[in-house]
Amino acid sequence: MSDEKIIQITNLTRIYVDGVEIRALDGVELDIEKGEFLAIVGPSGSGKSTLLNLIGILDTPTSGTILLKGIDVTKMSDKERSRIRNQELGFIFQYHHLLPDFNALENVMMPLLINGMKTSKAREKAREMLEEVGLGDRLYHRSNQLSGGQNQRVAVARALVNNPSIVIGDEPTGNLDSKSSDNIYELLRKLNREHNQTFILVTHDERMAAKTDRIIRLVDGKVVEDSRKV
Amino acid sequence: MKNIIDVTVENQAHITVSPREDEDFIFLYHGLENYIRKQEGVIAVSSYYQGEAALQYRHNAEGVALFGVNPEDEDRVVQKEKDMIAGDFGSLDLPGRYMVIGSKLARNLDVDIGDTVTAQFPGSAPADFKISGIIQTGTQADETAAYANLKRVQDFYNAGDIITGMGIRVSDIYAANTLANKIDREADYDAVSWMEQNSEILDLIETQSQFVLIFYILIFAISGFGIANILIMIVMEKVGEIGMLMAMGVPRKSILFIFLLEACILGMAGVMIGSALGYVSALFLASYSIPIPPEMYFGMDHLPILIVPENFIIAGIFAMAIITMAGIYPARRASKMNPVEAIHSV
Repeated sequence: MSDEKIIQITNLTRIYVDGVEIRALDGVELDIEKGEFLAIVGPSGSGKSTLLNLIGILDTPTSGTILLKGIDVTKMSDKERSRIRNQELGFIFQYHHLLPDFNALENVMMPLLINGMKTSKAREKAREMLEEVGLGDRLYHRSNQLSGGQNQRVAVARALVNNPSIVIGDEPTGNLDSKSSDNIYELLRKLNREHNQTFILVTHDERMAAKTDRIIRLVDGKVVEDSRKV
Repeated sequence: MKNIIDVTVENQAHITVSPREDEDFIFLYHGLENYIRKQEGVIAVSSYYQGEAALQYRHNAEGVALFGVNPEDEDRVVQKEKDMIAGDFGSLDLPGRYMVIGSKLARNLDVDIGDTVTAQFPGSAPADFKISGIIQTGTQADETAAYANLKRVQDFYNAGDIITGMGIRVSDIYAANTLANKIDREADYDAVSWMEQNSEILDLIETQSQFVLIFYILIFAISGFGIANILIMIVMEKVGEIGMLMAMGVPRKSILFIFLLEACILGMAGVMIGSALGYVSALFLASYSIPIPPEMYFGMDHLPILIVPENFIIAGIFAMAIITMAGIYPARRASKMNPVEAIHSV
């Protein structure tokens, strides 16, 4: 594992104003290195999803900075943020959010097409990615023809097909039974080893968190524990 | 609307000349006729003698307005020949006493071509006329009008060579007013154009156009809201997917564009299906002659249906404009969505 810092977070604060002021994140300082496989844990309302959305530049902080590969992403235009999300970030959510009108292959092609890749090349790459997640025989199935675990595998393939440097998982196994959940975990682990991409998972599942290399525990918007496996 | 004007202008003289205010007849009318014929834009002039009479056939009797005309002139001014359903109007010129009567009058008297009716008027000797034609204009006249040769009618009323009025046909119907005023001024006879005679109808048409416009606006507003509603529903259904597209790196502008495009595609399909349906139903309606009372509709006896290509084009353009406008709000709403909330909403 290299010592290259891929994410540097300084004094990150996010305040929601919804009638009352909610301090979801409160001065978080965090560095994440390339290739890390880490979990963010904490009780609900502790700010872990907020942190993840900020790292994924889906949300903007109230104050503080996030450097992605040394570039401050908090002050970018929508267009630049969109480009970074497409090329540097992969998202896996609790619900797969596959487009129901398209089959697995087309869903996985989507980020490539958004990036401007030619259809024929995108199809080839998407097929390889689906084979890698073990769905080589389900290319033309739609999400309503696939099981929950299979859909989530398609979502994993979609998140990784652009070869992003950071993969973000927000309760990626939250909707799955424990067997499928383990399978997805093993898959993510394998991809992490093979591609040396950084994986950041938010999870309630302490059992799963325990299998990661580093656990960041949040309580009331503050980091209370940051432990690495040796 | 155009129809009503057409029918109105076709069935009556464009200008009607009446006697001077304190007189009942136009005396020495040949000079006036020549003067009018010389005016620019005049196509035809027809002098007539109108009187009242009772027509009797066996034990049926009806009161009528009896017109003495020169059939050729009268036909040129008000196109009588085309309304004939039996016999011909020109027969009034034949030697002997012939008469053309309205279709309803013929039914009421129970007469047909070849029958002889007796005309009576106090102070006149009863005169027999042979029915040589039946006319149907679709107006009130069908029940009350009878036409005979001018000379015979003048004789019947023991009048000399005098008339009670004159009808004029002009080439430009919208210039009728100007000419009527000129005749009024120069010849000192009371000349009235079709526009003055029908000012009520023309006002009615004007009002109707305004109502039609209001209806159009309402229809467009209603369909606009309907379309906006459907698009908002589509956006709501796809909240999660929109969020995911944003996470995959689709810029907000593209989201806006996607939903505007969807509105346009839906609109295009709607315009095409709507135009086809409209065309088919117009053909369907036109194949049925839907009767309306001609007395109320200026002589039209069935619902007029006119298929105008321009209307399809105008409606199509307007519909596309409305649809695009109705699509803006939902599309903006989709593009302004917070991706985090969108993704977690499902």
